[in-house]
Amino acid sequence: MTILRSRLILFSFLLGFGLVLLNVPTASAIPAFARKYETSCQTCHVGFPKLNPFGEAFRLNGYRMPKETEDQVKIKPVSLGSDAYKRLWPRAIYPSDIPGHLPVALNVKFASVYASTLDDTGRTVTKNDFQFPQEVNLFAGGTFGDHMSYLVEVTHSERPDGGSDTEIEHAQLHLNSIWGPEHLVNVKIGKFAPDFADGFQEMWLSTNNGIDTLFSYDPVGLHGGNSLDGGGISLPANVRAIEVYGVSHHRLFYTLGITNGIGPGASGSFNAHANKDVYARVDYKLGGMGLDGDTTGVKLPPENWRERSLRVGVLGYAGDGKGFNMPFTDDTGAQVNIQDRTFTRGGLYASWIFEDLNVFAVALSGRDRLDTFAADGTRTNTASYRYNSWFVQADYVFLPPLQGSLRYENLKPGDKSVGSMRALNASLAFFAYANVKTILEYHRDLHNTKNYEVDTVLRVAF
Amino acid sequence: MKRLIMIAIAFIVAAPLFAGDVHGKVACKGVRNSADAVVYVDTIAGKSFPAPAEHVKIDQKNMQFVPHVQPVLIGTTVDFLNSDAVLHNVFSPDACADKFNLGTWPQGQIKSYTFKKFCAAALLCKVHPEMEGFVVALPTPYFAVTAADGSYTIKNVPDGAYAVNVWHPKLKAAQKSVNVAGATEASFEIAK
Repeated sequence: MTILRSRLILFSFLLGFGLVLLNVPTASAIPAFARKYETSCQTCHVGFPKLNPFGEAFRLNGYRMPKETEDQVKIKPVSLGSDAYKRLWPRAIYPSDIPGHLPVALNVKFASVYASTLDDTGRTVTKNDFQFPQEVNLFAGGTFGDHMSYLVEVTHSERPDGGSDTEIEHAQLHLNSIWGPEHLVNVKIGKFAPDFADGFQEMWLSTNNGIDTLFSYDPVGLHGGNSLDGGGISLPANVRAIEVYGVSHHRLFYTLGITNGIGPGASGSFNAHANKDVYARVDYKLGGMGLDGDTTGVKLPPENWRERSLRVGVLGYAGDGKGFNMPFTDDTGAQVNIQDRTFTRGGLYASWIFEDLNVFAVALSGRDRLDTFAADGTRTNTASYRYNSWFVQADYVFLPPLQGSLRYENLKPGDKSVGSMRALNASLAFFAYANVKTILEYHRDLHNTKNYEVDTVLRVAF
Repeated sequence: MKRLIMIAIAFIVAAPLFAGDVHGKVACKGVRNSADAVVYVDTIAGKSFPAPAEHVKIDQKNMQFVPHVQPVLIGTTVDFLNSDAVLHNVFSPDACADKFNLGTWPQGQIKSYTFKKFCAAALLCKVHPEMEGFVVALPTPYFAVTAADGSYTIKNVPDGAYAVNVWHPKLKAAQKSVNVAGATEASFEIAK
């Protein structure tokens, strides 16, 4: 039983990895911005989609250049009202503009996946799969006038079973600098990667950027969580939310969000009940470029991915999974439902950039109060479980076209009968052009060396 | 010695009769090009200039005010022509131009307004909110509008010391003291 369970856990680990590979949190990097400013991807990216400090400032500025001036926007926008109408508001509609070009971009991803896994009988199963293409992302991004910006991403992916999925991964509208000093108060509404995790932009160099132990851990089980196929409960990669975020004094970043809870509602709603989840993050950056792009008193090298900085922060999430049933078969063979009644996550984040090296890490601790219900709806058990996960990743720019990444992950699940889940991820990215990237990536389950995956990925953005 | 004094007196008496062009460049920072800055000689103490009888014309053509920026001497009447096959309107939100609203009129017709005060008046069209133009009514007839490269020439400015100003629809104004003595160069840099 224990061996079988262990194998199932390992299998789910790989399954989780595969799911993450197919559904990675995507970046906000799109060639529509390159067209708008007539600038290279390298202006904002160490290598797409990983952002450099300027790119992070661009993102936090609501997809605008820091201290943007009219002449930086090379494709003249279409005016929806001349500036003088600002003086007439509210007797006239406040003036705005829309992009003078079609602000869309495509990202095509081809993957060759070689995977070795143990099945539930303990046999090694290998697959060598040309996923050509694996997915296509259609992006739109830009600004409306002085105080609004938007990002939309629709992903169409093809499954190995012959089916396909289409998903709106992002549809977000930002209201920028709506109160107080510039950059201090911004509001984001829609479906998006919440800023408490989207801010881990460092992770975007590798293909396996979902970070299984952070995003894919399933904390729900008969004796606590024990697998990695429950994406969305440990930390949601995407939320339907309203988020307030901003930068103060160039270096302090904060975000506060309110979002739908886990799982869809029974009545066809997106939320299982009327309650909402909340999240927050606070960061401070020492050295390097300011989070709003400020460079006052800072000497930066011409290589725009380099600086000497340390960004540290804390993050938290409080969720309410009451009313959302997850079915299980208990040890006696009876059908039960488990609800993650309340759950909290608290974490620490650090990112250190020293010239060509970027080391970053997140440590997360989660607590889940699980209610178990019999088939007739009677609550039969309530228990709290705690899990701890952390990862550390080092990225290095060997040469601008050649960049490497090495990550170690560790998770101690809530189910104490299951040992730590550990994984290693190593990848090498080569940029044929600024918008054409190949990645060779190796992912190993450190529990069992027969569980590993080698991916070769080609990504083209245009 | 007597001869030298005579020559000097002749120069002093004749000085106002000399005039030259004030020329130079205005570097406009943060905008697409350096066009549309108005360079002008500010009020000259003790001097006034009668309003010209001749009207200045601003066209509304291809959904744009042409020219985009038009400096005029205070008291000048500006005729607004509609050359488009759609209705246009002209109004100004600026008090210095009495917040005038000339109504709406069809192709080929003209409506006029006389700019009576010193004013940088925005011109708007209620029918097409994206349209924007400017009339800058000035105290002297010594003015010019910059080309895209920022160059300008103000013709026939009498020799003397003046305050020369720069106005731009989007950038902060600037001023410089300029001693005009024949052809004189004066350049500026303006930004937000």
